[in-house]
Amino acid sequence: MPKAPAKPAERTADPVLQSLFDVQEATLPNGLRVRLLANHQTPVVSLYTFFQVGSRNERPGITGISHLFEHMMFNGAKKYGPKKFDMVLESNGGRSNAYTSTDMTVYYEDFASDALEKVLDLESDRMRSLRINDDALASERQVVMEERRVRVDNDITGIMDEELGTLVWKAHPYRWPVIGWMKDIENITRQDCEQYFRTYYAPNNAVLYIVGDIDPKQTLALVRRYYGDIPKGPRPEPVLNAEPEQKGERRAEVRHPAQSPALMIAYRGPAARDQETLLLDVIQYGLAKGEGSRLVKKLVYETQLAVSVAVDWGWRIDPGIILFYLELKPDSDPRKVEEALYAELARVAEEGLTERELQKAKNNLRADHLRELATNSGRGHAMGHYEALLGSWRDGLTLPSVYAAATNEQVKAVAAKTFAPERRSVVTLIPTAGAPADASADGKDVE
Amino acid sequence: MATRATSKKKAVVTKKAAPTTGALTLPTLHESTTSSGLKVLAAERGPLPLVAARLVIRAGSATDPADKHGLADFTARLLRRGTERMSADEIDETIEFVGASFSVGSSEDVLSLFVTTPAEHFPAMLSMLGQLVREPSFPEREVELARERALAGFSNDLDDPAVIADRAFTRALWGKHPYGHDIGGSTAHVKTFTRDDLVRFHRERVGPRVSLLTVVGAVSPQQVADEAEKAFAGWEGGPEAPVRLPSADKVTTGRILLVDKPDQTQTQVRIGGPGFRVGHPDYFPSTTMNNALGGGFTSRLVNEVRVERGLTYGIHSYFDMMNAGGVFGISTFTQTDRTREMLDVTLGEVAKVRQEGITAAELKKAQRYLAGLYPLRTETNESVASVISDIRVHGLGDDWVEKFRDRLMAVKQKQTVEVAAKYLFAQPPLIVLLGRASEVKKQLKGLGTVKVVPASDYE
Repeated sequence: MPKAPAKPAERTADPVLQSLFDVQEATLPNGLRVRLLANHQTPVVSLYTFFQVGSRNERPGITGISHLFEHMMFNGAKKYGPKKFDMVLESNGGRSNAYTSTDMTVYYEDFASDALEKVLDLESDRMRSLRINDDALASERQVVMEERRVRVDNDITGIMDEELGTLVWKAHPYRWPVIGWMKDIENITRQDCEQYFRTYYAPNNAVLYIVGDIDPKQTLALVRRYYGDIPKGPRPEPVLNAEPEQKGERRAEVRHPAQSPALMIAYRGPAARDQETLLLDVIQYGLAKGEGSRLVKKLVYETQLAVSVAVDWGWRIDPGIILFYLELKPDSDPRKVEEALYAELARVAEEGLTERELQKAKNNLRADHLRELATNSGRGHAMGHYEALLGSWRDGLTLPSVYAAATNEQVKAVAAKTFAPERRSVVTLIPTAGAPADASADGKDVE
Repeated sequence: MATRATSKKKAVVTKKAAPTTGALTLPTLHESTTSSGLKVLAAERGPLPLVAARLVIRAGSATDPADKHGLADFTARLLRRGTERMSADEIDETIEFVGASFSVGSSEDVLSLFVTTPAEHFPAMLSMLGQLVREPSFPEREVELARERALAGFSNDLDDPAVIADRAFTRALWGKHPYGHDIGGSTAHVKTFTRDDLVRFHRERVGPRVSLLTVVGAVSPQQVADEAEKAFAGWEGGPEAPVRLPSADKVTTGRILLVDKPDQTQTQVRIGGPGFRVGHPDYFPSTTMNNALGGGFTSRLVNEVRVERGLTYGIHSYFDMMNAGGVFGISTFTQTDRTREMLDVTLGEVAKVRQEGITAAELKKAQRYLAGLYPLRTETNESVASVISDIRVHGLGDDWVEKFRDRLMAVKQKQTVEVAAKYLFAQPPLIVLLGRASEVKKQLKGLGTVKVVPASDYE
């Protein structure tokens, strides 16, 4: 086994980022954390509310409840009843949306600066006193089932991704898809939702980020006024990571009508807080960022084994996966493509990247990081993302210095450790002709 | 990319601030013209050390030769696969090493080359952009590879129901008009592309007199003018003026096309009729009216179809505006056995607005919503560069951004009634459905003649 990477460089904040993040912070007595950042370039504001709950907090039988519940958050509370949330927000020059992931549930609004107080009223109302009614739940359940059909049942990457999750994880909740199993979505009750709300939607489990055309002092006073009286909730139970060690390569096939085969190949990676996470960012960029990157050049241009190659390294609270997704040509042999990919990964483990590739990866990580921060929404989201995954939004400011200090020795060590065959899971799409033998109609389980 | 995050709703396009918030103005525009005749617009904007540039060329898919659909887009994509001085690999390395990105956006009317770069590399990247449009070499081998990849892409598209539905809709709607084919073309046409086709298209269609360069970011206007002169000096070719398109005020109506894809559990639904061109005086009343009908999350269509009945996860209506004409359309999907219900509810809601217009309260809400969010379109260098170029290309007037909110707030209810009567399927619309035809067809009784075609027709 290779040695762990050398001790990390000192984490220091990047001066350009530091100048962008003159943030005011506060924690209310009920545990609600607030982060405020003024930017007067345009007369708009973005508000993010991050709740630390996602599909990793679920259990079998109620998979998908985090996401279904997110839909219910738009369906009425005590002061602003059914249909009022979006109506009032839009009437005041704002828009809203939300997403649910494995680790967090995130709500956001973009709005004209003069709507600030109204938006805080709307958001605090649903955190204080959500009302779940049976009709809305019945209708929203249908919407989510339709969403599952479009994202999974009628989407090949969705089908493959679901197969991969159950292959990679045996015990951890990352096993099931965020949207949940169809049968569970059908059976989640109002009581389940109410229990979920009490458990995870308390102010002490949330952080607000308000970025844009605001006066931080006045804004904090408004936040205290609207959120101050919401009672603190219980501390949510920590999630146990009971995942056993993987003892060898795992494989699965998906047979489905398709024009060409495809591959999803995952390797177990570290948790977001682990130092190796940032080195995998460097490796991901070196391998697949841009037309001139190693895998694109080799697999798409030189050997022409693949039509496209993408590498996704998504940070998560618990150890996640680095995922390779390859679309092949109709006549490609998936095994040959796998061999070519593994040879490239072995080469990185043996030799690392070239000095120029390493510098290029660093340049691109920095440029993408800056692009992400171009909007209020991007800044608010980035702060929330780093705080949820790393423990502090400030850690986001230190990323450039860590990337800049990455060495090829570290790259080699992390690649050798990560890309070991026994840490691998492979899903192959095998095209069939015509309708699927067992189309997952309603009421049938999809596993 | 496979992602496990799921989001509640689609992003909705939006607009600018109610009278009480700060004024919205674009950064000052500086204009210059290079010796080769290229118009250049520059706007300095911080605080991030980044620059965005957009080169618009008025040679979109509507200028494709009749037997070479997809050639404009294909040519634009091949610009970076080799020049007289550099190979594709050298170009990729030059751009990507510094963390810059180049991308191509093609529409019916224009080709756009987008560049974003760290500010310190702006001169080198602009020089690169100049080289790509001045002297692409279209290496034989690269053309061949790109053609093969495009063909594999068309074949894979058959697995994406939304893409095929859109493709069938475009073709059925516009028929033989230059707008009636996919921007990327089709298997039958792309298969025939040769290096000579690209060389000819580039020589005849791409040139400084039908192009516009817009640069926004952390760079001085003087430096933009100087670097543009260096980068584009000696650029020749292309026409004196943009190609004139035949008028596009007619689209196909009153037909039902059912595209059969038996493995689906859902039906993709597209409905359309005539709309209007970019810059048409009906824009402001129509956009407010449409916001109430099917534009936001509180629209009538979302309420009736999604909220009340759980028929879909997403539905929206829109005005698609191009230089020579446009479309009023609706896009949604539903489970196979509820296809008819979806059509009845949707067309019923459209008919109500066509007959009665929207209420005063709906108008006011739409105005505040669209006005409040308009500044989001000017938040980044890229979006400022895009809005500036659009204003010039479509002749919207330099006060477009500044006056946007006033024009929106000035819309009267009577005007929304007029545009509703005019555009909301006054004639029976074109309906395109993609799904399991054996299940869907029997639900369509009484709606008119249904033509069934296999999905493979749209490769």
